[in-house]
Amino acid sequence: MTTGSAHAPVNTRTTAEPGTRPAGNRRTGGQPKRKGGKDNLAGYLFLTPWLIGLFALTLGPMLFSLYLAFTDYNLFTAPKWTGLGNFERMAGDTVFWGSVQITLIYVLVGTPIKLAAALGVAMLLNFKSKGTGFFRSAFYAPSLIGASVSIAIVWRAMFSTNGPIDNGLNLFGINLGGWVGVPALVMPMMILLAVWQFGAPMVIFLAGLKQIPGELYEAASVDGAKAWRKFLSVTLPMLSPVIFFNLLLEMINAFQIFASAYIIGSGSGGPAGATNFYTVYLYTRAFTNNQMGYAAAMAWVLLIAVGILAFILFRTSKSWVHYGGDTK
Amino acid sequence: MFNKFSRRAGSGVAVTVAAALMLTACGGNGGGEAGGTPDPNEEVTLNFTWWGNEDRAERYNEAIALFEEENPNIDVNGTFMDFPAYWEKRQTEAAGGGLPDVMQFDYSYLRQYGQNGLLLDLNDYVGNGLTTDTIDDTLLATGKLEDQTLGVPTGYNAWSLFENPALIEQAGVEGYEGGTSWEEYEEYMASVSDASDEVFGGTDYTGRIQNFELQLRQEGRELFTEDGQLNFTQEELAEFWSSTADLRENETVIPARTLEELLPKSGFGSNLTASEMTWSNFMGGYLGDTGAEDLNIVAPPTNDPSVKDLYQKPSMLHAVSAGTEHPEAAVAFVEFLINSPEVGKIFGASLGVPASETALEGAALEGPELEVKEYLDSVADRIGEPPAAPVVGYGALENTFLTLGTSIGLGSISPEDAAQQFFDEAAVTLAG
Repeated sequence: MTTGSAHAPVNTRTTAEPGTRPAGNRRTGGQPKRKGGKDNLAGYLFLTPWLIGLFALTLGPMLFSLYLAFTDYNLFTAPKWTGLGNFERMAGDTVFWGSVQITLIYVLVGTPIKLAAALGVAMLLNFKSKGTGFFRSAFYAPSLIGASVSIAIVWRAMFSTNGPIDNGLNLFGINLGGWVGVPALVMPMMILLAVWQFGAPMVIFLAGLKQIPGELYEAASVDGAKAWRKFLSVTLPMLSPVIFFNLLLEMINAFQIFASAYIIGSGSGGPAGATNFYTVYLYTRAFTNNQMGYAAAMAWVLLIAVGILAFILFRTSKSWVHYGGDTK
Repeated sequence: MFNKFSRRAGSGVAVTVAAALMLTACGGNGGGEAGGTPDPNEEVTLNFTWWGNEDRAERYNEAIALFEEENPNIDVNGTFMDFPAYWEKRQTEAAGGGLPDVMQFDYSYLRQYGQNGLLLDLNDYVGNGLTTDTIDDTLLATGKLEDQTLGVPTGYNAWSLFENPALIEQAGVEGYEGGTSWEEYEEYMASVSDASDEVFGGTDYTGRIQNFELQLRQEGRELFTEDGQLNFTQEELAEFWSSTADLRENETVIPARTLEELLPKSGFGSNLTASEMTWSNFMGGYLGDTGAEDLNIVAPPTNDPSVKDLYQKPSMLHAVSAGTEHPEAAVAFVEFLINSPEVGKIFGASLGVPASETALEGAALEGPELEVKEYLDSVADRIGEPPAAPVVGYGALENTFLTLGTSIGLGSISPEDAAQQFFDEAAVTLAG
């Protein structure tokens, strides 16, 4: 029996066990009857603050930025309609493509490493031993402070010439000097900063691990499976909805990297464009160059690109994400 | 249809910067009566803003307190930020119609704001609330745009070459005397770099558009044509960037990689280079950064000392918003900031060598500040007409120039490709 869509919440696994009433029945049968307009009105009234926020602060500006994407707008004079001009310019803008390239590298390399680190630590913390509570908090801490300006500044200092990283590597005879001024080393540095903030996905992984029934591992042991085999055949499939959720969330987050890149690159995308991530470049276009139209166009391209990637992820998820109750 | 649509979207609430400004920008007040002094009985609050550090804030607060004492009915509300954030904020305010009454202003933004009618024309107040005959005419002209007086310069500076005597002594070489050929300057840089393991002779000067401008002016040309287009070719720019390739290769100049790590300080400010070319008002900042007791300031290199290649740049200006409700009070405050000897005393040369004679007298410069003044006097023969007020988007181009120069230094782009990129960028920026 298959219940729900491919992206139903994780906990349907426990509620939709075979033998319970079919989902369809439950839905129609369990719903209270409508009581008329009064309750609805009250409901909408309670919603108003949120609705005002949605329309005035989110939807309005978004639509306006969509309009701006097709104009030349320098903040000083009224927007000039240019049709697809901004998008054509984007296609020929080498700096734009450079920023797309490094952003993609950052997302495609950084996200899997971060998730692997999060899963690894989550599995270590899943063992019952003294002090796990402390370690869980300790490992979670970096993601609480990670987005802050101060951490980016500390990171910059750590990777400078004669900083802790440089000196540490010198001990092993690796003499890279400072990383901050070398375009090729800035990307690893940025990815390390992202990986270090694995706390949020780790907590979600931990919750997912706790839900895997112990019987499955026992059964696997009886069949003679070793630790690695258990990981591949029990942990990963059982955890796949959580992995999917984390992957989606972290990927979208990674695309939005800004604060740390802005600070490490001194706001200019330096050295030599190595921190000129998509959002940094967008910001430069908007607020340094006063090209609001171009920046708005960039923002929409990013939105659409991330939307497409998310769509692809959802599509592929059918073949690798297993929800409880699936017959496979 | 789109226009209508944008208006509807904008009328929501405060929404984005972008939306709000469109609607209100046209609002402004329609230009006022001509000149005058503020009514002493009217209670007035002026908003005043500047960019700068704590030190400058203390000085401004002192000046504001003094002004409020003299004008008990005027309350000045001062705020400050660092330079990039300052202009981001002003731009959104300009769009939204909420510029502060009085602003510390930068030369490179004058045209952008002036052309769009955002600054009050002070002509009506000259001689009637505002005294400008205390200021040198060429310098005063830098605050003008098409016969309108949009800003009054606080002080002036000129392009210059700083040297760190302690580092030169440490290297055991002769300092650069200033004002001689570019080759001699390069030889000097090499002598320092060769003599010392840690200290370099200077910074690759091709990273800054001002040095390119200097070389162009030495040939009797300007960066921009009269109608605001680039006044040099792509090949010339590539050649300029290539001209110091040897210096970069031999590490005669400090490697770009090291400079990246030092940001926001410069190599000179970090005591790693013995010389650097920059604006003369950096004296105070560099003394602070280096912790040195003394720095020398000399003339930049030139192959022909008779050419008037340097110019007086207003270090900053004071401008009044066109939308101010209290133009008389605002002008009175500007008058006070520019001409008052007390303000001159409070600021010394930290806003540039005071432009106004009366403020200069009050400043009674001494020590390093006096050295800057003496430097400016000493290059009087090389100081010519200033270029026209920077084109709209000059700030962005200057930034692009710097970024590309750094990329060349890091070896990640060739001078030819960089010149191509600069021209592509300029085509877009200057088209608007």
